[in-house]
Amino acid sequence: MKLKTKSLVALTVTACLGCLPSFAMADSFAITNAKVYTATELGVLDNAVVVVTDGMITSVTSSENAAALTFDNVIDAQGGVVTPGFIASMNALGLVEVSAVADSRDSHHKNADITFDPSYAYNPKASSIAYTRKGGITRNVVTGAGGEDMFAGQAFLVDLSGEWDSVKQSNIAVYVKLGANSEGSRAAYVQELVTKLEKAQKAQAKSTDAKDKSDAAEPELADEIINELLAGKKPLVVAVDRAIDILTMLKIKQQFGLNMVLIGGADAVLVADEIAKANVPVMIDAMRNLPDNFDSLHNHLANAGKLTAAGVKVILTDMGDSHNVYGLRYSAGNAVANGMSYQAAIEAITSNVADTFKIDTGRIAPGKTADLVIWSGDPFEYSSQVVKMFIDGKEQQTKSRHDKLRDRYMTQSDMPRAYSK
Amino acid sequence: MTKMMPSLVMLAVTASLVGCGQSEVQDPKVTINKNPYPSTYQVLPSSKTIIKNATVLTGVGERIDNADVVMVDGKITAVGLNLIAEGASVVDAKGKWITPGIIDVHSHLGVYPSPNAESHSDGNEMTSPVTAEVWAEHSVWPQDPGFNRAREGGITTLQILPGSANLVGGRGVTLKNVPSPTMQGMKFPDAPYGLKMACGENPKMLYGGRKVQPMTRMGNMAGYRQAFIEATEYKRAWDKYDADYAAGKNPTPPERDLNKDTLRGVLEGEILIHNHCYKAEEMVMMIDLGKEFNYHSGTFHHAIEAYKIADELAENGNCAAMWPDWWGFKMEAYDMVLENVAIVDSVKNSCAVVHSDSAITIQRLNQESAKIMHNANANGFDYKEEHAISWITSNAAKSLGIADKTGSLEVGKNADVVIWSSNPFSVYAKAEQVFIDGAKVYDHQDERYQAQSDFLLGQE
Repeated sequence: MKLKTKSLVALTVTACLGCLPSFAMADSFAITNAKVYTATELGVLDNAVVVVTDGMITSVTSSENAAALTFDNVIDAQGGVVTPGFIASMNALGLVEVSAVADSRDSHHKNADITFDPSYAYNPKASSIAYTRKGGITRNVVTGAGGEDMFAGQAFLVDLSGEWDSVKQSNIAVYVKLGANSEGSRAAYVQELVTKLEKAQKAQAKSTDAKDKSDAAEPELADEIINELLAGKKPLVVAVDRAIDILTMLKIKQQFGLNMVLIGGADAVLVADEIAKANVPVMIDAMRNLPDNFDSLHNHLANAGKLTAAGVKVILTDMGDSHNVYGLRYSAGNAVANGMSYQAAIEAITSNVADTFKIDTGRIAPGKTADLVIWSGDPFEYSSQVVKMFIDGKEQQTKSRHDKLRDRYMTQSDMPRAYSK
Repeated sequence: MTKMMPSLVMLAVTASLVGCGQSEVQDPKVTINKNPYPSTYQVLPSSKTIIKNATVLTGVGERIDNADVVMVDGKITAVGLNLIAEGASVVDAKGKWITPGIIDVHSHLGVYPSPNAESHSDGNEMTSPVTAEVWAEHSVWPQDPGFNRAREGGITTLQILPGSANLVGGRGVTLKNVPSPTMQGMKFPDAPYGLKMACGENPKMLYGGRKVQPMTRMGNMAGYRQAFIEATEYKRAWDKYDADYAAGKNPTPPERDLNKDTLRGVLEGEILIHNHCYKAEEMVMMIDLGKEFNYHSGTFHHAIEAYKIADELAENGNCAAMWPDWWGFKMEAYDMVLENVAIVDSVKNSCAVVHSDSAITIQRLNQESAKIMHNANANGFDYKEEHAISWITSNAAKSLGIADKTGSLEVGKNADVVIWSSNPFSVYAKAEQVFIDGAKVYDHQDERYQAQSDFLLGQE
């Protein structure tokens, strides 16, 4: 039983089984005999070949057309499924070791505001990182939970290699929490956002008018970030659930020309057409289906599918999670079970995230960074496992300390278990 | 003790009367009503039904392909091949799977309901470390929409527990997952009460933060022991009263104590322990605590480290109710392994249970079990559906003390049944029809069998 999944792949480079994440494949390799979920308009390619050269995907083609291709090594997927590495988003993975241990938790800070950059706290060696790779996740948009300010700070992009250089880009999006609030009125927070945007707009106009630019004061970091939002350079991710609040946000987007993304979106189905028209992606937790409060009376398992059907770009997220981000693929499976198309569910954890946050993975297409996963079967099913995983074309392993603990307690010994390593 | 004094005086007087050879005049016997909030559950309308041609998992280890299940008067009357049931309504379940109704031994539906408004937060009496006097049933809001969502996931029976803030948190109640405007209308007839206890971080952090005992794990242990010392004395006083009365004397009854009533129920084996306890060393101490005070230490809930003591749990007859993969939210949840349930289950005489403790995952305990089964099978185990289903059916029923009534598709058991669209260990499987006591309570295709909470009715 133990070798069931591995036996699917006849390895040319057998030495790579269980190799360290830093192990690099030869300069080029081909995954052959694969059912490839491209997450592109090509959809699913049966019996295809994917060639990776120097960490980039250089060719995706059917087997018949593969004769002319050259590569150093072959990995025969034996009919297994290959997907882009999944991209998780808007969670605190790597910012928290143990949630209730205060000094191991860096996702919150009382004074966090729009400038809060939690990437300084990211730990690629957190025990949750290797564990998350079990879920076929190769990249992640991380965010803190902020503090007392409505702005929770900035999101950043990591790969899940666990290497020291895991943080790929910081400050890729701004996260703001609006909607239901137990402290005062939501009106005040929305007003504050509008005021800030208006002020920044006026300041920009003034500085454009100013004849002598050298007199202008160096803008504060917070102002620079607002300016970037006004220029549409990075997304403003707005946490909001209630339908009328969503409409308000769409107006604000329109007024200021923002690059806006909604997260939460419990009642987004009520205004799905308006969201689609405004071309605003919605990030939702597919498993969330209870009326948590009066903002989320229309939470339903079918919402991911309904939004997609209405033309909304949907991203499935595990918002706020820190330890079980690995289960994203099961959320996608449940979305499919409740009406989302399979292709849409794949896109919702690959290409849609990539497009929204300008990530160079999430599709299996020439020119893309080679984040790839070979699966033993349907990646959304509990019966399937990751057979092989590549980040930047480098093979990864999916063992974590959880496996070590299991092995220790499944091995009989006359001596205390503490002696088994 | 001062309140006991008058009764001692009374005893002395009556003894002298007996001594004089006069016949005793007895006051009416004082007995404690053990069921003051009785179940008013009524089976929903039902008819004799045969479900045909399905893959049947009986819940007790068997898988029968192309099988039929017959339900008459609320009971399972036959399970097998090519059954005939005259006059029965027929459900063709070709290509579908049938399991017993799913049981969750750990839920806070109704006591921590949706919406989670402050006004509804009724699950934790965080006012004293030992609150054996509170009963979760008195907090249940039957209109929690979560009950309906859970039913749509095949949940037919669930235990509602108080939270884990206290060493002894209070009584849990087992409910049938039928819509009712009252708690009593859902209450599972003749199910034993549970007593929620909690080890480890929660009680010591909460009370330690208030600078009262317990502040440490040793404080936790002292707290349980003190409570059971007092309960033992209380039981002795009542036992003496009962014995004296039976002997024709006219004893004064002990003063009633609501807290100790419950702990006495534990000592008398009528109330089953459900102990929130994560760590190996603490679970084994709780087993010893039960031995110290002569009660059974029951089911360990969450039991993240149960795999480290699987042998001890089986030897002592303890169930462990576990998640597949929750971890890392506190120190005592750090040593999770995805194969915890599988390792616990692999020991002879074990009782492995999968629970939710969540209004979300209670809706798919079948998938939670699938996660465990398939992860384990990828790492050296060989579990099959017919066995794994016991984690959320028969073993759960055993944990709650209702295995003689539900948790399996055996002749004579309550007809609590789920028809699944496909193999319930698939992410795509959905509960299509759910029966409780032979009555259809959910049908995914028929709105007449899709209950809606008062709370959600008419919301735009």
